Amino acid sequence: MKYDIIIIGGGLSGLVAGLSLAKENKRVAIVSLGQSALHFSSGSLGLLGTVDGKAVEDPLEAVKTLPAEHPYSMLGAERVKELAVKVKPFFADAGITLRGEDSRNSERMTPMGEFKRCWLTLDDFITREDLSKYKKVAVVSVLSFLDFYPDFVASGLRKLGIEPSVSYVTTPEIDRLRRSTAEMRATSIGRQLHGKALDEFADAVMKAAGDADAILIPCVVGMDDEEPVKALRAKVGKPLYCVATTPMSVAGQRMQTQLRRRFERLGGTYLLGDNVTDGRISENGEIEYIHTVNIGDEKLVADSYILASGDFFSRGIIAEPHRIYEPVFGLDVDVDGDRDKWFDRNFFAEQPYMKFGVAVSDDFHPLKDGKTVKNLYAVGSVIGGHNALKEESGAGTAVLTALHVADKILKNN
Amino acid sequence: MNTQQTPKAYDVIIIGAGATGAGTARDCAMRGLSTLLVERLDFTAGATGRNHGLLHSGARYAVTDGESASECIKENMILRRIARNCVEDTGGFFVTLPEDDLDYQKLFVESCHKAGINAEAVDPKLALQMEPAINKDIIGAVKVPDGAVDPFRLTTANVIDAQRHGADVMTYHKVEDLLLTNGRVHGVTLRDARTGELKNIEARLVINAGGIWGHEIAAKAGIRINMFPAKGALLIFGHRVNNIVINRCRKPSDADILVPGDTISLIGTTSSRVPYDSVDNMEVTQEEVDILLREGMQIAPSLAYTRILRAYAGVRPLVAADNDPSGRSISRGIVCLDHAKRDGVEGFITITGGKLMTYRLMAEWATNMACEKLGVDAKCETAEKYLPGSEPENREEREKSHTIALSTEQLAIEGRHGSLSSQIPKDINDDAMVCECEKVSVGEIKYAIDKLHVNNLVNLRRRTRLGMGTCQGSICACRASAIMSKRFGQTAALTDLESFVNERWKGMRPVAWGQTLVEAEFSAWIYEGVCGLGNINEKTICDNK
Repeated sequence: MKYDIIIIGGGLSGLVAGLSLAKENKRVAIVSLGQSALHFSSGSLGLLGTVDGKAVEDPLEAVKTLPAEHPYSMLGAERVKELAVKVKPFFADAGITLRGEDSRNSERMTPMGEFKRCWLTLDDFITREDLSKYKKVAVVSVLSFLDFYPDFVASGLRKLGIEPSVSYVTTPEIDRLRRSTAEMRATSIGRQLHGKALDEFADAVMKAAGDADAILIPCVVGMDDEEPVKALRAKVGKPLYCVATTPMSVAGQRMQTQLRRRFERLGGTYLLGDNVTDGRISENGEIEYIHTVNIGDEKLVADSYILASGDFFSRGIIAEPHRIYEPVFGLDVDVDGDRDKWFDRNFFAEQPYMKFGVAVSDDFHPLKDGKTVKNLYAVGSVIGGHNALKEESGAGTAVLTALHVADKILKNN
Repeated sequence: MNTQQTPKAYDVIIIGAGATGAGTARDCAMRGLSTLLVERLDFTAGATGRNHGLLHSGARYAVTDGESASECIKENMILRRIARNCVEDTGGFFVTLPEDDLDYQKLFVESCHKAGINAEAVDPKLALQMEPAINKDIIGAVKVPDGAVDPFRLTTANVIDAQRHGADVMTYHKVEDLLLTNGRVHGVTLRDARTGELKNIEARLVINAGGIWGHEIAAKAGIRINMFPAKGALLIFGHRVNNIVINRCRKPSDADILVPGDTISLIGTTSSRVPYDSVDNMEVTQEEVDILLREGMQIAPSLAYTRILRAYAGVRPLVAADNDPSGRSISRGIVCLDHAKRDGVEGFITITGGKLMTYRLMAEWATNMACEKLGVDAKCETAEKYLPGSEPENREEREKSHTIALSTEQLAIEGRHGSLSSQIPKDINDDAMVCECEKVSVGEIKYAIDKLHVNNLVNLRRRTRLGMGTCQGSICACRASAIMSKRFGQTAALTDLESFVNERWKGMRPVAWGQTLVEAEFSAWIYEGVCGLGNINEKTICDNK
């Protein structure tokens, strides 16, 4: 099978790259194993929240202070700015409403009632700024749902001088889920909350909220698109916002579904549940074809390939006792020292392993044995040289490198 | 210093709530002594919670130490009866590999028989059919009555029974000093680890069951016990690789026992002398992990591609004979010291050496000595009376009375708490599942907090297996913490949560590759990314691991 571009990995960076290319009428295939960082999405995108342990106010300015090996530095501060302003419209086009200012960070609320810096936020998610408008806020969760912590959220509200109330609701539909103890995940609930079940949920939430000025619920609504959230907001008739839950993330699922739908509507091929096993690199340093598990012996061929396979979590890079490798092409991986050096004893300290990833040239071509692979690009967290968790930059690096590489491929043709 | 005097005086204070201390408390209380069990951290925080969990048949010691072997098989049979709910009758094999000496097998079987262990050489083919995880190349196999024992459950059951017989129990109270007047120990000074408060408690007799830390406790009475800390490292695999214990039939060496326990399998151990000042912070080295894997693969090749959940190490309290300060003639047997006779200090006994398997016998010796010194004439009954949760029952009978078979969740809870599981609250709210890997419900957590001396998530893990499964707490610890916060407050719960995550990380770090590294990275994104934790204490201290 022949494509213009094959993308390895169907998470945020793979989808953004794929969608950008499909919009320009390219024949694109995305091969996705199905597990991506979107599954633990917080409902916000981070561009750059922290540099050297210091809070960042303006991420577009702070990009200038990053070390040379950082993916943003390879893009350059000007290019980061150019790309950053495209993000909101790009997502809006896929049915995902983001809000926030391009050059100023805001703060999202966590399910533990803490505040973390973020850049753009899904329209239904609460930010610290939103909260400043309210005096009384009702925190309404779902009975037997354990991945959201209303008491902690209430404490977080109290610290802001807001008077919180905490309550739990259920509906006949949710009670059915509660009988099976393994079903009480955010995504299982989200799957049920449509139509009549959503109306019942809205009634229960309204009743529980009493005379509060605004309502916070865990993000258990809007698995596939924003419509159920809009319907819930309309029905409740009060400002209502979501707070992230621990995985599985309904918000992440929603983003993934919307991006994929838009991609497929434009004619893109999304091979879900498939895995690229290997690829052949020719004498002159170009990929000739790849193989996948499901397609078997048949070769998948493209003019360009994009590696968007993520880091350890998504199997973009894999650790063994004495080495870390990139499993598809055996690309060069930046690793410091042997296993003792990969980790810090304090779990919450900066962990060296989080910076590991494939080595790339300035134009995002990965290296193999020190030489660039000419028709292959790397995007997102498979690229080494940055710690997305500490920097609060995971979504930003994924989206910006994907937009950049897609642009580059289009220009090269 | 603000030292409080509490009025109650006990017959006996036992220091250390490992299996031996808890067993001694049970025995003392059953014989009618007024008893206090004190522990600086949590039950099983020392060597009791850091071993194979092997219900030794004694076969391992048969060739080298006949006396230990025969003690083991006797205690093995006793525990199968009195601690049914803490023991799994897996059976065991001693297998001979092509590079091992098959002649050793003959000596081994003879020695087992001498010690009273029912060892039977079987056709290697039959052994492979019974336990497919064994290396296909074996040239010999001997079947022995090994099993698995859950040291957490066993110790908790002893504590519960001691309390039922009137004993008091204080965890997180460290013995700061011994009350010593005119060459007689008459109590202890305790420091409450949470408040820092000091209090003196009087007793007619103090029993030192502090394991390797017993050295330090004895020193407070000016007594020297020559202890030699021996570190043993182990690896935990992500599922039950084997259902029958696999031992290597050779002289005891590194990584030659693979034990199935509950949902996992364990390989161990290494053995190395460590400095005394390191016993509070045992870390498993990269080299030890490599040895354990390399050797373990010899007896069960599938270990090469099985996920390792974590690595940990315990310290055996080996004791040198009194006339040998060099430590060359080290005993693995039980050491029960009357310090009046040995050192001229009245009112003080040390019980040490031994092993998990002989904890009950050690307790019996120590209690016999205590009774003799206190002039109490009471017979030991710990070998006959069932431990709480292990009373005999007929499961088939009970299953018949249910219209449908017990669910996996219910079986898991019954497996952990036996006949005590009826005390666990159950309704649609309490049935919500907190730890999905190990099936720990909200109700079970409430029960543990109320009844089983749970102060933090590590305690909770030991009582319920929460966070012991494949996710190593990445999903369930937050959930459990929210429940704990209702009892202990939010600040305490969050600090504890960070400490728990670090405790899990300590065990994962030495084996953090493959799926274990994936799990660690996933946890980091949940805790620090999604939840925003990690900033509460800049330096999370990893106490109590």
